[in-house]
Amino acid sequence: MFEKLCKLIADQFGVEPDSVKADTAFVDDLGADSVDLVDLSMALEEEFGMEEMEAEEIEGIVTVGDLYKYMQDHLDL
Amino acid sequence: MRIIVDAMGGDNAPLAPVQGALQAVKEYGVEVVLVGRGEEILKALRSEGVDGLPKGLSITHADQVVEMCDNPATAFKEKKDSSLTVGLNMVKNGEGDAFVSAGSTGALLAGATLLVKRIKGIRRAAMAPVVPTGGGGAVLVDCGATAGGTPEFLLQFAFMGSYYAERVLGRPEPKVGLLNIGGEPSKGTDLQREAYALLKQAGEEGRINFVGNVEAREAVEGAVDVIVADGYSGNIFLKTMEGTGLFLAREIKKMFMRSLRSKLAALLVKDGIRDFKKLLDSNEVGGTALVGIARPVIKAHGSSNGTAMKNAIRQAVEFTRSGMIEDITENVGYMRLPVKPVEKGGE
Repeated sequence: MFEKLCKLIADQFGVEPDSVKADTAFVDDLGADSVDLVDLSMALEEEFGMEEMEAEEIEGIVTVGDLYKYMQDHLDL
Repeated sequence: MRIIVDAMGGDNAPLAPVQGALQAVKEYGVEVVLVGRGEEILKALRSEGVDGLPKGLSITHADQVVEMCDNPATAFKEKKDSSLTVGLNMVKNGEGDAFVSAGSTGALLAGATLLVKRIKGIRRAAMAPVVPTGGGGAVLVDCGATAGGTPEFLLQFAFMGSYYAERVLGRPEPKVGLLNIGGEPSKGTDLQREAYALLKQAGEEGRINFVGNVEAREAVEGAVDVIVADGYSGNIFLKTMEGTGLFLAREIKKMFMRSLRSKLAALLVKDGIRDFKKLLDSNEVGGTALVGIARPVIKAHGSSNGTAMKNAIRQAVEFTRSGMIEDITENVGYMRLPVKPVEKGGE
């Protein structure tokens, strides 16, 4: 599941999948802006069947690891 | 052709969108769908002396309105029945050819990016206004859609601006310049230096007509047809131009109003003054195209009046007819760089 997440993130941001790690930060390392993060949350809804994320929840996610933890808490992984 | 218009967006909504739609239906022979609160739109129509809906004009009801205080990145999700979201979805679903809104810029950009989607392979949508220059106007890409940027973004902006200048403004082989602080390739920050190398290569391959770096004053004098900039620099350039225009217009007015003799002189050159005011009038321009989105989307100025809305609809018509989205889609492979590993601490 983590590998699948990293691949999806790599596709979204145009980087090599192998270089996406748990400590990769969306804003500082991937140059994400607020629209990118909403875009990613929508891709997660589509790919993993996740429920719609609230704006505050999206804003609270800093790294790939944070996002994976959020998914573990909200999906039956 | 059917243009979808956000009837609730902008300082003068719904009156200005209604006035613009009425004029556009008559002048351009297109269909216009006004999206928003039906009762308010009908009331605005009645205030214009129109009872019922004239041929070519229709209303799609949407109950909510995106306000300036809404979070721009998520407003379209949180207000699913807003005129903005409903209108964008109509364009996405093929119920219209283009979307025009004078509402929140951020919400429109986010909504267009995430609902209508970017053209596959385009990293960022950009805002591309046509600014008045000595060369009859130039496309400025980007003027603030993206605050930061990468060399790849600027390469894509250059291609998209070039297609816009060629297809919409009718400039054959448009001259593309990179906004910078000097002409030499070594000028600017890492972003400009790396972008320069990419643009030079694209120019040598004959894909765009890159003429090099361009300083702000040369750009205003008309040295290029396309001014490529990161959103931060582009926004400062645009706002400086707007401020300079207002300042000059005010000073000229003061000069002419100084004495009876100067007032008489003003009368003698009033046609020239009118043309000058028109050149600087944002209502005459219409709106700003969001380039890189899979369907045509036009952002009209927030303070648009009816004429400005009509001109924004005209711009949407021209954009739709231009075929530039097809150009971008076909050539996006030339605008991409190979994927790189993540660089810790930023792009």
